[in-house]
Amino acid sequence: MNTSRALDAIRSRWYVALPVAVVVGGVLIPLVYLLLRAAQADPQTLWDLVVRGRTVRLLGNTVGLTVGVLVGTSLLAVPMAWLTTRTALPGRKVLTLLGVLPLAVPGYVMAYALLATTGPYGTLAQTLGLVVPRLSGYTGAVLALSLSTFPYLFLNLRTAFLGLDPALEESAQALGHNRWQVFVRIVLPQLRPALLAGGLLIALHVLGDFGVVSLMRYDTFSYALYIQYAASYDRIYAAGLALLLLMLTAAILVLEARLLKGRLFHRTSGGPARSATRPGRGAGRGVGYAFALGVAGASGVLRAGTVGYWMADSAATGLPWAGLGTALWDSVRASAPAAVLAALLSLPVAYLGVRHASSWTRGVERIAYLGYATPPLAFALALIVFSLGAVPFLYQTLALLVLAYALHFMAEAVGPVRSALYQAPPHLEEAARSLGRSPLGAFMSVTFPLVRRGLLVSMAFVFLSAMKELPLTFLLAPVGFETLALNTWSYAEEALFGQAAPYALTIMFVSALFVGVLLLREQTARPSPSETT
Amino acid sequence: MKRLLSVSLVLVLALSLLGCGGSEQDELVIYSGRSKPLVDSLVQKYQEQADRPVRVKYGTDAQLLAALQEEGDQTPADVFWANTTGALGNAVNNDLLAELPDALTGRADRFVPSNQRWVPVTTRFRVLAYNSETVRPEDLPDSILDLPGMADMEGRIGWTPAYSSFQDFVTALRVTTSRDTARTWLTQMQALNPKSYTSNTPMVRALEAGEIDVALTNHYYVLRLKHGGAEGEYEGDEEESEEGEEGEAPVRASAPVEMYHFEDGDLGNLALVTGAGALRASDQSEAARQFLQFLLSEEAQSYAATQVNEYPVVQGTPVPAYMMPVEQALRLSPTFDLQRLQEMDPTLTLLRDVGAL
Repeated sequence: MNTSRALDAIRSRWYVALPVAVVVGGVLIPLVYLLLRAAQADPQTLWDLVVRGRTVRLLGNTVGLTVGVLVGTSLLAVPMAWLTTRTALPGRKVLTLLGVLPLAVPGYVMAYALLATTGPYGTLAQTLGLVVPRLSGYTGAVLALSLSTFPYLFLNLRTAFLGLDPALEESAQALGHNRWQVFVRIVLPQLRPALLAGGLLIALHVLGDFGVVSLMRYDTFSYALYIQYAASYDRIYAAGLALLLLMLTAAILVLEARLLKGRLFHRTSGGPARSATRPGRGAGRGVGYAFALGVAGASGVLRAGTVGYWMADSAATGLPWAGLGTALWDSVRASAPAAVLAALLSLPVAYLGVRHASSWTRGVERIAYLGYATPPLAFALALIVFSLGAVPFLYQTLALLVLAYALHFMAEAVGPVRSALYQAPPHLEEAARSLGRSPLGAFMSVTFPLVRRGLLVSMAFVFLSAMKELPLTFLLAPVGFETLALNTWSYAEEALFGQAAPYALTIMFVSALFVGVLLLREQTARPSPSETT
Repeated sequence: MKRLLSVSLVLVLALSLLGCGGSEQDELVIYSGRSKPLVDSLVQKYQEQADRPVRVKYGTDAQLLAALQEEGDQTPADVFWANTTGALGNAVNNDLLAELPDALTGRADRFVPSNQRWVPVTTRFRVLAYNSETVRPEDLPDSILDLPGMADMEGRIGWTPAYSSFQDFVTALRVTTSRDTARTWLTQMQALNPKSYTSNTPMVRALEAGEIDVALTNHYYVLRLKHGGAEGEYEGDEEESEEGEEGEAPVRASAPVEMYHFEDGDLGNLALVTGAGALRASDQSEAARQFLQFLLSEEAQSYAATQVNEYPVVQGTPVPAYMMPVEQALRLSPTFDLQRLQEMDPTLTLLRDVGAL
């Protein structure tokens, strides 16, 4: 490969090279930091700590939990996505919103809700006389995590469903396949990138989750890692465990890449894609409603109910309006820019991976996921060391926090953009180039409108995650910067659920509002069926 | 429309990034491992009195300690306010805390460390909480050392091996008896199949819900479940706050959760201390000392008792009626040099060896 040519290419495509450099750098800094810290450890002690029976058990538990949650979320998300995109069920928009809302509230609130509902003294027993065993361990963790993470899959699948060309399905139907066969042979394979992107995100989320597994008392890797940092004030052995966790992540990433390889998903025929026809009558409708409402109820209502109940606990003391106001402003001014930044960074990264597929572009794309899997505490410590050493004026500024959010949550942004890009036919862009547009101009005028839906979902993901983020906020936020999530956590941790409630409710409300606005824009971004048929 | 939206977005982005840069000169920066509800009103009060801007960074002891170590001399922090003596001891070992004058450390009447690097602020006690519907206190042992002998408690005990207070207890057990005694105690406890919780709040809830029947915890978790605490703003006037408590029904006064104390001097009743120190890298050492002094004032001490249900370290500070009197609580606890709780590593090794961590 000619180096000077490569350099020229980088210079002329700075708008791709720069974001890619930021992403790679942002992910490598924590990795280097962890390696440095782990290298400080006494090798023998580190080896003994890492290679012991417990580690193997943790590994087994972690993998088992990941698989369980993947199955659980698929069972929830695939039907939900189909119902909200492919049927004429009235109230689809509300159902969509309900399907996204679980992302708005930290997983540990879900775990608290499940714990408070079940058991001989739980709400179910007290109100309906229904005694179910108090959830804990594997079952509890799978349930709580599935209910709180399925929106990742749901939204990815929605984007995919909306972008599917019904012509293929119609052809299959014309060739004598029944509906189920069409779904399995035609639709499901086309959903593969979305399933993989959503599944990957969920898997990584499970790997890093601490809140739910600790409340459900289920031993996983991240749990052990947390204890290492929290209990022993030990950054060095914790670094060893974090590196192990990253290796596990890398293995999952390689697996995902294998599964995705060599697929073609975009349309090759000319003409605009039509929107699919929507069945929506008959007995199926009742079943659909029952399912969607069941899922929404279990995930959203349960939570909102629990928080509302907390609220009633202390309604007498009045609402801390002033505190809520500043917390809300702090949350939004960190999360919103982070969402935009993450989406903008993910665009060139995903574009390279999809359009210029080679081992190194795929590598770059995968690197983004490593940032997500780096334990946030390690990530934050690495950024402290880096910023104090290299850019001290940035330390303890909002800019650093925004950058940290964006780099950490970028993986959530890449998936939807990637799925959208797979469906955007490259020959349109090529045509624009041949008509004299510059590469950037062709992309902006042709492909960008097609991936806008994906970008919006990306922003929604990152915004919702950043709104409830804790460890990064704790360590990197400017002193005195207190987000809604931080307040919720502080009060809940001290068992002052009454005071935690207003903050938790505000997170839910703002997130719902934000996602609602995005969904409205999605509606206008899509040509209506009457225009195309 | 679209252009307007994107332009305004970029504008907000740029403005907000510039918005909160460096800190003011005379500002006091506190890194607090104690959570906001326990600290906030006091900080407001100090800010008013001293007429000095104060900003607090909240986190856990471990997070903040890790941050302080990575920050080194460049830290913006002036005061480190911690939940545990372990964290303070660790800060001393890493030479993060400045030595304090006698005039300051002398204000506290108990638990002052001999190295003069930090001051105690409040005290909490280890207790055995039990579900009063399923356990009779008469059946519980006199000493925590006999707890593993209760075979009928299999699967009914809750503990928090990852939580600092529990680890402090194990350290105390290890250094006052012997490593082997501690190991035996832990192994026998493990044989009873206790349920591990990451923090005390969910554990006490589980106790209330009947998932477990006894729990090794700190006294205030039970008090907060039953009597609330840390509600609303600091009122300053004691009568007023008592009135407030009466007007508002106790949160769960009827919850079937009670506290059991082992016999006087037993390790199961160990007193544990929260404290604060001034950082060596601080550029506001005078203000930092002034703040520590405020924490030991009558006002702040009585706040800790009435609002947070922890025990004061300054003699003569009254505590609410539902709390055991200070002298009695102190008699229950073994006398013990808290600096010995700094040796955490052997404790963690022990906990890992028996499979509790």
